[in-house]
Amino acid sequence: MAKLRDEANGSAGISRRGFLVGMTALGVSFGFPTAAWAAMNPANADGRVLPDDGRAYEPTLWYSIDEAGQVKVNIIRAEMGQHVGTAIARILADELEVDWDNVDIIHVDSAKRWGLMVTGGSWSVSQSWPIYRQAGAAGRTAMIEAAARHWGISPKACQAKHGYVVAGQRRISYGELVAQGVSRQFSEDELKALPLKPNQDLKLVGQAVKSLDIENKTNGQAIFGIDAQVDGMVYGCPLVPPTRYGARVTAVDDSEAQTVRGYQQTLQLDDPSGHVPGWVMVIADSFYAAQKAAQKVKVSWAAGEASKVSESDIIEHGRRLLKDAAQGAILDTGNVDTAPVFDQASTQIEQEYLTHTVLHAQMEPLNALVFRNEEGIWEVHSGCQWQSLTLPWLAKALDVKEEQVIIRAYLLGGGFGRRLNGDYTVPAALASKALGGKPVKMVMTRPGDMQFDSPRSASVQQLKMAFDADQQVVAMEHHASAGWPTQAMVPSFMPAGVNGEKYDPFSIAGADHWYSVGAQRVRAVANDLANASFRPGWLRSVAPGWTNWALESFMDEAAHHVGQDPLDFRLAHLKAEGRNAGEGPIAKGGADRQAAVLKKAAEMIGWGQDLPQDTGIGIATTFGQERDMPTWVACAVQVHVDRSTGLVDVQKLYVAVDAGVIVDPNGAEAQCQGAALWGLSMALYEGTALQQGRFKDDNFNSYTPLRIQQTPEVKVEFIITDAAPAGLGEPATTPVAPAIANAIYDAVGVRLRSIPMRPADVKGALSQA
Amino acid sequence: MAQFILNGQAVVAEVDADTPLLWVIRDELGMTGTKFGCGIGTCGACTVHVGGRATRSCTTPVSSVEGAEVTTIEGLSEQGDHPVQEAWQHLQVPQCGYCQSGQIMQAAALLKDIPEPTDEEIDGVMSGNLCRCMTYVRIRAAIKDAAQKMKEADNGQVA
Amino acid sequence: MRKRLIYGVCLVAIVGLAGFSLYAWHPAIDPITPPSADQFPQEMIDQGEMLASAGYCSTCHTSPGGQPYAGNYEMHTGFGTIYSSNITPDPETGIGRWSEEAFIRAMRTGVSRDGHHLLPAFPYEHFNKMTDHDLKAIYAYIMTSVPAVDEEKKANGVPFPLNMRWLQAGWKLLFADTAPFEPDPQKSDQWNRGAYLAEGVAHCGACHTPRNAVGAEQYDQMYEGAAIDGWIAPSLTPSNPSPIPWRQQDFYTYLRTGNSMLHGSAAGPMAPVIHQGLAALPDRDIQAISLYLSHDEPSQVDRDEALDAEFHEALQSALTDQATIPDARINEGARLYATACSSCHYNGQHLVKGRPLLTIDSSTHLDAPTNLVNVILDGLRADQGISGVVMPGFRDALSDAEIAQIAAYLRHTAGESPWPNLQQQVTDVRQQPRFEH
Repeated sequence: MAKLRDEANGSAGISRRGFLVGMTALGVSFGFPTAAWAAMNPANADGRVLPDDGRAYEPTLWYSIDEAGQVKVNIIRAEMGQHVGTAIARILADELEVDWDNVDIIHVDSAKRWGLMVTGGSWSVSQSWPIYRQAGAAGRTAMIEAAARHWGISPKACQAKHGYVVAGQRRISYGELVAQGVSRQFSEDELKALPLKPNQDLKLVGQAVKSLDIENKTNGQAIFGIDAQVDGMVYGCPLVPPTRYGARVTAVDDSEAQTVRGYQQTLQLDDPSGHVPGWVMVIADSFYAAQKAAQKVKVSWAAGEASKVSESDIIEHGRRLLKDAAQGAILDTGNVDTAPVFDQASTQIEQEYLTHTVLHAQMEPLNALVFRNEEGIWEVHSGCQWQSLTLPWLAKALDVKEEQVIIRAYLLGGGFGRRLNGDYTVPAALASKALGGKPVKMVMTRPGDMQFDSPRSASVQQLKMAFDADQQVVAMEHHASAGWPTQAMVPSFMPAGVNGEKYDPFSIAGADHWYSVGAQRVRAVANDLANASFRPGWLRSVAPGWTNWALESFMDEAAHHVGQDPLDFRLAHLKAEGRNAGEGPIAKGGADRQAAVLKKAAEMIGWGQDLPQDTGIGIATTFGQERDMPTWVACAVQVHVDRSTGLVDVQKLYVAVDAGVIVDPNGAEAQCQGAALWGLSMALYEGTALQQGRFKDDNFNSYTPLRIQQTPEVKVEFIITDAAPAGLGEPATTPVAPAIANAIYDAVGVRLRSIPMRPADVKGALSQA
Repeated sequence: MAQFILNGQAVVAEVDADTPLLWVIRDELGMTGTKFGCGIGTCGACTVHVGGRATRSCTTPVSSVEGAEVTTIEGLSEQGDHPVQEAWQHLQVPQCGYCQSGQIMQAAALLKDIPEPTDEEIDGVMSGNLCRCMTYVRIRAAIKDAAQKMKEADNGQVA
Repeated sequence: MRKRLIYGVCLVAIVGLAGFSLYAWHPAIDPITPPSADQFPQEMIDQGEMLASAGYCSTCHTSPGGQPYAGNYEMHTGFGTIYSSNITPDPETGIGRWSEEAFIRAMRTGVSRDGHHLLPAFPYEHFNKMTDHDLKAIYAYIMTSVPAVDEEKKANGVPFPLNMRWLQAGWKLLFADTAPFEPDPQKSDQWNRGAYLAEGVAHCGACHTPRNAVGAEQYDQMYEGAAIDGWIAPSLTPSNPSPIPWRQQDFYTYLRTGNSMLHGSAAGPMAPVIHQGLAALPDRDIQAISLYLSHDEPSQVDRDEALDAEFHEALQSALTDQATIPDARINEGARLYATACSSCHYNGQHLVKGRPLLTIDSSTHLDAPTNLVNVILDGLRADQGISGVVMPGFRDALSDAEIAQIAAYLRHTAGESPWPNLQQQVTDVRQQPRFEH
């Protein structure tokens, strides 16, 4: 393989980076065969976890303190851009009373003791908040107790500060206490009873601290799944069959590939887990050789049924399903008996909204390195958002017990929900299995990655609203049909509606909104044709990506129907009463908080001002992901529409957010900027279509997410409340598209009801106006 | 066999002439800071410098750089302290970080050519670098921040 | 009367044929024992090395990856595939047994030592402009300094009857410029030096002068531009479509560095001309060639000023034109350009070396998209264009339709009327044999 020569300087002149290259060339590489390295510290070069200084004390499962007072905080969430470790570890460090400089983030492997491992739903900070505070309080208590014992005084006389226990003039560091030996453990009940610091005393939460993963992301030292290496590995480049399901290989001819230097063989994968039927893996000495050989291997497939299915079929099928009132699950929204109210209604409006297929297109193509180690354990080296879902799949594919499989932690070159579905680890595992446990590093080409995506399904939604003689809203219905990822991958996660039918909560959330509208019927219908034709996926925000598009466009249409200002109309229906009052530490305040962000966004953009010709302002709001963890977001945009070309220039993109306590303000702003721009991207720029079972676009030549030149001025402002933190990764995504559609309506008086809204669509709508 | 200078060091790799520079750097020479994104020169994740100019390494055959000087993110500065890297750290630009090696290499090249770029100029040069986390707002700000710091440093030297 | 006429015609034909045969027939020149190195002064050998380089001998006499001067470089001509000869001093397969006389005869008249006619792919009519002194120097260099390589020349793929060598004699009679170089007394010494080099050893016209149906240079259209090796050798006269006129300093920069910021980079067959060929010539010779090509004289100050004014105006408007119009959101070419090209080609308010501004680049202004498409397909290596800098290639990355969209967009921003059948032209350029050097 590679040889290095230091011709210029002689080996003495070799630089640190040169040294690293040299090490890799000699075969010392990242990828850890022993348990000692079964974790990843994003702040260290190549992600290595450095050994503890002396003994280490573990107050709880979640961290350890060593004799130097260095705290290693175990993070079960995947790092994919949220600086999740920096957010979560500080919750603990704050409560523990240690300085940020003494904190290490440790992303752990998929061992059973960590419990459910999933990074999604914008849950990470919200769910970690109570647990890591308790854990931090446990350590603080243990340190105080140990110091008190050491000095022979009452713990009450001691205080913890900056990694020391202090009593009068005396002070002793956590490290010294650990060196003396601390073994205090806490029962669940003890943990629950521990006193927590009042929010106003928190020193790290809400403050600017350095994100520990960032530096290595600027100097090439950050290690992503695609960078994993072990000695003796071979490379695999898969050939993806023409349909996601039901494809069967009928012939493989690799005679031409034999001419490629480094080509080894072509494997037909036999998948007992059913994730990758009809897959073929080309094995070679290098990825490039594998990729080149893959282009020369001729595979014939008998395609599955999906080869006859295209985007319009999915949408038409969704319409047919919605027409049948017996289909789907009815959500519990209080009074769901809307029919009599509509019968009595003075007026009513009804509209249909569409969204088209959206690909994840995360920047790091899917990859996995799999091998069986010396202890007989199957090691899976790959970025993963949902280890607990993926492990059983791998065990089934490898025909071993779950305990015999472990997923190592790596940085994710983008998740956005794609890596919740760990199906991409399966073909690498199958290839390694076929080669007797030899390390196989599979890297997908970009087209392979995109054709194998679990996209956001296209959706069809029909909304109705009934008004009484005083033009008051008296009932509302929201019917939504789309492919259901949860049904496809974790049916056990599906609750039942009031009619007993199961539904995918991630495919309808958002329709169960916080507006008070009288009788309310929300119906979720699985698009079984979509589910059979491709594997629908969870994509940033999931359901609200379509439900909120429809809802917030429709609220605008309803306001115009009754001749009201769209902001006033929304505010009038956001009342913290009844089921919209808001319960629990996160949701407390309810609809009033949603009204507050709306007012804030309106104020930011100057709602109601006079605007130049063909320029308009639109507003929309969301409660984020789920009713029990609402993140209140409002978005206001200003657009200019060019009537001759249909071009929509977004001039201002402003977002107001209330997520309760903001743990990591810098990261929070970044997440909201990113989410809002995702929303803009899906509103105007990106989207594909299913075509005979494949996606029309499979690389960035034709799949067109937002680029820098399309990025408008973005402002994000937070309303800080004392509610427990909600999530911030996704919520700002979904109000953007409806805000833009509403602004277009404000600017030129045409209503667009399908995303993406391309210039031709705007032009078409204008020509019919 | 390919020979070129990588981050100041002469390197030799036993590869076919048509092998993209990207894979030689990553898989043969073990420098993984340069990333694979699209393979067709449309995302910018693989950007390195060849002869000091930003270059997409995924569509550059290694035979093209025979004898040339190639710089990757690992070699942009000795201590990871190029003004662009410092601005990226200071403004916490990276999210997932996967595209950022390419963004930084492209931005460093931009500032060499256009020391005080306007928004339009930033957009013109950076449009080939996709960021799926959409860190564009901070990328713009960080480029301006780096430009300012570089200007101050230059003025300092003159004075 | 009629009979006499027929006899007469026959007679003329016979006499003519006999005369032609006499003309066409050349004797073999006796082989010699290869000369030893000490037969030539070092200065002469050095001069020969420089001239051999300036004449790109090795470019056409070395196959890709092959030994220098050992021949078998494959040339695709309108008349079939031709392989160049082994001109190393190997006695059996090369020119080791050629005397100086045989070498000079070949260089001046295109006749091999054994008397057979060489094909006009060998530009002997240009080398004929050189002095004996210079030709002898090249001979000295080859015989003493080029390693002998035993390599048989491959058979040419020229079909019958074009492969009949005596036809070459007729071709020469009809088309070749056999006049020796004559300095123009109206011009400066520098200009004449440039003319001597350009018309002689550098044989610029071999590529840049259009050829007629049987492949002969059309001297009445000297340097008007021509298609060669799958590329366009642009016009070197004011008929060049570049929006910014070529001044002496532009030729100089281009010929010296492989790039002119105002016109583009040396790609395809022009790259070795500059980096492997003219690189051997001293600056003063490059200046002389540049003066000759710019049809200029150093004294013409007024003309320079006028050119400068024209230049500044053209440059400013080109910088403006590069702006993405039509909008990348509704024009596929503009979108793909912003995606794949503008990171390197976008210029701010000032032109930057190494950021080729395509609105003024020759490739977007030529009548055919050939050069632009070639460069999009295969990029530029470190030894082409600006030394040490590369451009990626999009052959395996973008489709013909996409490349055509980008090319159409660039043609539009260059302010030129659209290229017809562009996508088909892209397909054709993609399929043609790749120029390898």
